[in-house]
Amino acid sequence: MSALLDRPPYGPRDEAEFLREMEQVTQHHLAGCEPYRRIWKHWQSGGEVTALPFLHAGMFKRVLLVTGGSVRERVLQSSSTTGSQPSQIALDKFSSQLQSRSAVAILKDFVGEQKRPLLILDDGKSLRQPGSVSARMAAALSLSPLATSVHFLLSDANQPQSMKWDELRTAISSSNEFLIYGSTSLLWRAWGSAMMPEEIRKQLRSKRMHFVHSGGWKRLESLRVSREEFDGTLLRDLPQESRVVDYYGLVEQVGVIYPLCENGYRHVPVWADILVRDPYNLELVEDQPGQIQLMNSLAHGAPYHSVLSEDLGKITSGSCPCGRSGKRFELLGRIPMAELRGCADV
Amino acid sequence: MSKHLHRFASSRGAVVVALPFHLDEFISDWAGLRTPMRKSVPDDFSRDEWAYLMNFLSPEQLQRPFCEAFGSPATTERTIISLARPRGTVGVWFPNNVSLLGPLILILLSLTGNRLLLKGGSRSNDLAGAFLNFALQHLENGTLRDFLEHQVRYEVFEHGDPRHSRMLEESDVRIVFGSDEAAASVHSAASPLKGRGFSFVDRQSQAWIESGAASDEVLSNLIHVFAIYGQTGCTSPHRVVLLGRTKQQAIELRDRIVGLWPKVLRLKPPIHVASANTLALQWAAACGWEATVAANRAAVIGAGPIELEPIDSPLFLPISSASLDEAIEHLPANIQTLGHAFAVPSDRRWLELAATTNIKRLVPIARMHHFGPLWDGEHFWRQCFEEVDVDL
Repeated sequence: MSALLDRPPYGPRDEAEFLREMEQVTQHHLAGCEPYRRIWKHWQSGGEVTALPFLHAGMFKRVLLVTGGSVRERVLQSSSTTGSQPSQIALDKFSSQLQSRSAVAILKDFVGEQKRPLLILDDGKSLRQPGSVSARMAAALSLSPLATSVHFLLSDANQPQSMKWDELRTAISSSNEFLIYGSTSLLWRAWGSAMMPEEIRKQLRSKRMHFVHSGGWKRLESLRVSREEFDGTLLRDLPQESRVVDYYGLVEQVGVIYPLCENGYRHVPVWADILVRDPYNLELVEDQPGQIQLMNSLAHGAPYHSVLSEDLGKITSGSCPCGRSGKRFELLGRIPMAELRGCADV
Repeated sequence: MSKHLHRFASSRGAVVVALPFHLDEFISDWAGLRTPMRKSVPDDFSRDEWAYLMNFLSPEQLQRPFCEAFGSPATTERTIISLARPRGTVGVWFPNNVSLLGPLILILLSLTGNRLLLKGGSRSNDLAGAFLNFALQHLENGTLRDFLEHQVRYEVFEHGDPRHSRMLEESDVRIVFGSDEAAASVHSAASPLKGRGFSFVDRQSQAWIESGAASDEVLSNLIHVFAIYGQTGCTSPHRVVLLGRTKQQAIELRDRIVGLWPKVLRLKPPIHVASANTLALQWAAACGWEATVAANRAAVIGAGPIELEPIDSPLFLPISSASLDEAIEHLPANIQTLGHAFAVPSDRRWLELAATTNIKRLVPIARMHHFGPLWDGEHFWRQCFEEVDVDL
């Protein structure tokens, strides 16, 4: 169990305790996961977080890593929007409990503690697939501890136009305050740019909405939708207390999410840490862009406690005007990709 | 109209090659393109690729296919035993993101005097189209420019496009680069009685280094040859086999390659390559390879047994020690080029190797990517000519 989870997410950091927990979980994976042990067979504790082993995020697309002794619950699968193999993360019961607590604690800091109906822009079908769950559904359900009821608003998650307006009409008459979750692109296509019936639009004018979205801007960039337009469209005509919360998270770091604060930064909870590395020599960099490494001490079912992502970011020194303490960073986007030439196209 | 007649002397007599242009002028125009090529490198090409193309455009290189196919240019009157003339139209289907093979085959086929129909990949740019554009922008009026403008058609279209059927109907020779499925789909749609087809499909190559032959020069050549396309090139070494040596010596060879790498290639790769190689290093280790990374994460070199499958990562170069028999036993079924660094290349064993295995090319490592008129076991270039039996 992580003792750090009992603390406020953005309170004072206990680096020694975080290191102790990370080394403990690292030893657990070295003992129980053969491929991980082969990769890090020479690793020895260096007494610093920066010396902890990590796995490149792509490893989870190549190998289903499992640490022995864990009670496997489900396999979490990414959506793989870029056409590559999806990531597969072996979830275990113990870690899932910790990850759920983590996500709720972080989200509470951004959307408040009060429970309210949760509207999900999805069809809920992936919940019925035995043995696996989609990353999008897992993200949506991480909000469920903050919900009085859950409503899936789409008939088909692949069809943003399949909004169940009757379901929405009924749901919004039940409360004055709502959480609504969708992937960034679905939230825009199924809600922000949808032809919403006028009487629902009128009803919503008195409802406090907290829109929570994740999944990145890649698809919206192709539609030329800026963050300003996105937020402005969602919040138009809604009460002032309504908010849009965009968070960054990796399927390989389930439960630890990084919402964007009102000053444009993402903050690191006390049970996690972020490093930024030079992609060429993996040396640490600060105040300059590099490859983001994410860590948390909650992952026990497989060695996804320390992951080198394929995202670029920059750690910013100094304190944030939003009041959250600890490390903060800017997300700068994915590492640009290019295909190597060949002659057979197989 | 092929009204320019060129004589070549073979051992049996003279062969006349009829072309729609004067060959010397045509070759001179190609060679002259190297002057603007020296001044700028188009964005689509790496400097190594551009340098290779410039070298390919030397008059000696361009003359070579004729010499190999028909003999030396004839200077004296001899009995004419045959006449070779272009078949008419050659259609070439390129894969997506084609390598330097694209412009090389354009150059080679232009020498045959056939009309050329080139279909580029529909998912991405390829170098054939880029090179053709460069040539048309920089060539002055003359034989070659006229030929490229009027006898070469380069198009990009999707599979179901009606232009595909038209191209098939017009082609007297079909050359398909791509997957087995792509080649089967093109050739099976052609009229069975018309033309001939060549398929250059998915192939793998290897580099074999014999004990005592692993000089720094050989390893530098290996680095050059591998780095240009990594595992995605059909002529790139998919595996290095260290003949007659131990696993420990394979590890030592790995470390020598890693040490030489920054001296041979100084430029940093793009960030995504560095990141992919961080992944490859871990993936290879997880699969049992003794892997290490080259400077700037430009490549990952692994040592491991010959039975161990290489990981599917573009810049992962596996090295395995093996006896000659083991190396032969583990040759992939789709082997193409075997690049060699043999202590005694003239040893009869190597000819026997070529005779008894499926390899298509047995060339020094430095020449693994050298494209020529004989490819994948087919003299496809010569087959672009129809030969008339004459006795004059």
